[in-house]
Amino acid sequence: MGRDAEEASPPVSSSELEQEEDDDDCYLSDQEDDALEESVLQVLEDEHLEDCHWSCSSVITKESLLLAQREDLRKVIELLGLREHHARTLLIHYRWDVERIFELLDQKGRDRLFSEAGIPLQYANNAGPSSSTEVTCNVCFEDVPPSAASEMDCGHNYCNDCWTEYFIVKINEGQSRRVRCMTPKCNAICDEAVIRKLVIARRPDLAERFERFLLESYIEDNDTVKWCPSIPHCGNAIRVKGDIYCEVECTCGCQFCFNCSLQAHSPCSCMMWELWIKKCRDESETVNWITVNTKPCPKCHKPVEKNGGCNLVACICGQAFCWLCGGATGRDHTWSSISGHSCGRFTDDQTKKTEQARRDLYRYMHYHNRYKAHTDSLKQEAKLKRDIQGKISISENKESKIKDYSWVINGLNRLFRSRRVLSYSYPFAFYMFGDEIFKDEMTPEERELKQNLFEDQQQQLEFNVERLSGFLEKDFQNFTDDEVMDTMKHVINLSNVVDRLCKQMYQCIENDLLYPLRTPHNIAPYKSKGLDRASELHISWDSAEQSSKSTKRSQDEHRSQHGVHNNEYASTILGKRALELHGSSSDNRPRQSHKRERQDANGGGALFDLNVPAEVADKI
Amino acid sequence: MVDISRVQKELTECNRDREVSGVSIALHDGANISHLTGTIAGPTDSPYEGGTFTIDIRLPGGYPFEPPKMQFVTKVWHPNISSQNGAICLDILKDQWSPALTLKTALLSLQALLSSPAPDDPQDAVVAQQYLRDYPTFAATARYWTEAFAKSSSTGMEEKVQKLVEMGFPEDLVRSTLKSVDGDENTALEKLCSG
Repeated sequence: MGRDAEEASPPVSSSELEQEEDDDDCYLSDQEDDALEESVLQVLEDEHLEDCHWSCSSVITKESLLLAQREDLRKVIELLGLREHHARTLLIHYRWDVERIFELLDQKGRDRLFSEAGIPLQYANNAGPSSSTEVTCNVCFEDVPPSAASEMDCGHNYCNDCWTEYFIVKINEGQSRRVRCMTPKCNAICDEAVIRKLVIARRPDLAERFERFLLESYIEDNDTVKWCPSIPHCGNAIRVKGDIYCEVECTCGCQFCFNCSLQAHSPCSCMMWELWIKKCRDESETVNWITVNTKPCPKCHKPVEKNGGCNLVACICGQAFCWLCGGATGRDHTWSSISGHSCGRFTDDQTKKTEQARRDLYRYMHYHNRYKAHTDSLKQEAKLKRDIQGKISISENKESKIKDYSWVINGLNRLFRSRRVLSYSYPFAFYMFGDEIFKDEMTPEERELKQNLFEDQQQQLEFNVERLSGFLEKDFQNFTDDEVMDTMKHVINLSNVVDRLCKQMYQCIENDLLYPLRTPHNIAPYKSKGLDRASELHISWDSAEQSSKSTKRSQDEHRSQHGVHNNEYASTILGKRALELHGSSSDNRPRQSHKRERQDANGGGALFDLNVPAEVADKI
Repeated sequence: MVDISRVQKELTECNRDREVSGVSIALHDGANISHLTGTIAGPTDSPYEGGTFTIDIRLPGGYPFEPPKMQFVTKVWHPNISSQNGAICLDILKDQWSPALTLKTALLSLQALLSSPAPDDPQDAVVAQQYLRDYPTFAATARYWTEAFAKSSSTGMEEKVQKLVEMGFPEDLVRSTLKSVDGDENTALEKLCSG
């Protein structure tokens, strides 16, 4: 983030200007003399203006996995007065969604909340029945001394051998996180400490596995955490707070779409991308081509392509056949006497089908060629990065007034980002304006209108991306100072233009194309600073305390704690602020609705005003 | 692997009150404790009344921590039992199994399943549809299958009926008489002649 922040800030449109003023009013009132605060807020604003769909990601490594869940566990333990293993059971059942647990606590009440998760409402008296009497285990039907039996919180008692055997079976079945009591119809989840103690005595390896399963529940039973999909696996997971439709970069360098764990593909939606890669992979179009352009030989059944004008075709196997109907020619079927030959009869159906297949194929080829071209350019331009570094070092050692070449790198980064957007915009268009997904969503007229709108934007972007690429490929190390200045001017200017065009295209996609759809279709938002790089996990131990305080206070506290004033600090604050913002607005939104609220041209400010209730803010 | 002592205890326990419960278990071939045969009496007030149903039971190595595998050997017309191969759709034989359940409780559950089918969660879609759309036909078919497959003396029932009808007795009377004497042709004939 630090490096990106140096980029020239994009020219602001009139609506953005207004926005900025609004925000300034709102913030400078109590913090005007603090220069740092301003710069922090500047970052906040910039970030916020470009994405209303806020999200922030952090890396969870093997080492920090325990730490990451500790926070949630503590909240639940403290606020509900639970023991740790019950808190874990509750969190596992409700997919580590603390907010939801508290929501449900209000709706369902404590008893139902607990019993649904498998937590006994009253703890059985653990002192148990007095020591001397033997216990009959209802599984092996043996009498055992109480010391050889274990009682769970639900009060059910079985001998340790049977428990152990049962736990081993359950762990082997992969049920570690939901080991229920052995009593029929008893919903209670077994105490993890008892499981640990009993299993470790007989199968230490399984006990270890059990432990790992419990720990990894935080990743696997959690909608806000995903394993990094890198191959070979880096061992990390990524946690995202905020909008889960986003693209992230793990510390291992792997970039992926958080929602579907595939490679980053915005502005394609996850569904489009999945269909697209499948289409590209299974070569269904090749099959289509074969059906359109060839006919199977009636003897050897190999597909035969016609290479001349004559409709009497000979296969390489020697069999001659009639191209028009596909029937073999021979004694019965010759050009002079054709018995039972139906060549001349027109069958409308077949023609239409062939026509359709041909059109579909051309359409796919059109989008695929352009997608492929841009992906290839991206690969080529990756080499450019090395070349440019060489050119810069030559230039820097040159006798020249110009010493700062950061504009080249910035321009190059902009080129990469916009090239990527451009290449994925083709599969997007293929599905957006095709029949595969949205057949019934638009009238043909509507579709044409929208397609024109989108293609205009795409075309402009394409044109400027190519120009930017052109300027960056110039051998500026051999230029005179004036020429360098000229190139610099163009690169900086084009960078801004391209960034703005990307933003506009996303606005068109999100507001005009995807928003009106009946079925919600979400994409990762455009970030002019590139993908979200997941930060190292930052756990604040007094977070529960802090969240009850005002945003302002927590900011101040943070500043005094850290004392380091840089952009990273800004992003931490951003995280905290937005986290709270998100928390407060999500309560009033139906959780299951995946449809995003419309991104208003001037919606950013409304979200930022903490005094406006979320439902009002949504309407603004 | 199978807990032999538990299975033996289960067998004695189950067979002790077989008359009352209507379920019993025996070793399938005497040598292998993990292969058993269960029998359940068709529950009264159901189309299966009067039938005796045989169930093939196989105990997996992890028994009782893994559920026993049960399958009807006797053909049954029932929404939750395959009419083709006797496979059973019952939750306690799958994920709801608990080690504290026994073969006897499982067989009793099967008996309960016979009297109260769950057609919304069917094993045999054809039967389930019939059950929901045309209950009388379902009941008649189930009764007929019970008669034809679940009664030890029912082998050749139709032939017997036909024989007696040919002797000049009305079919309804023949059927009810045969039923009352458990399918014994000669006693039925005596009864028909005497009364």
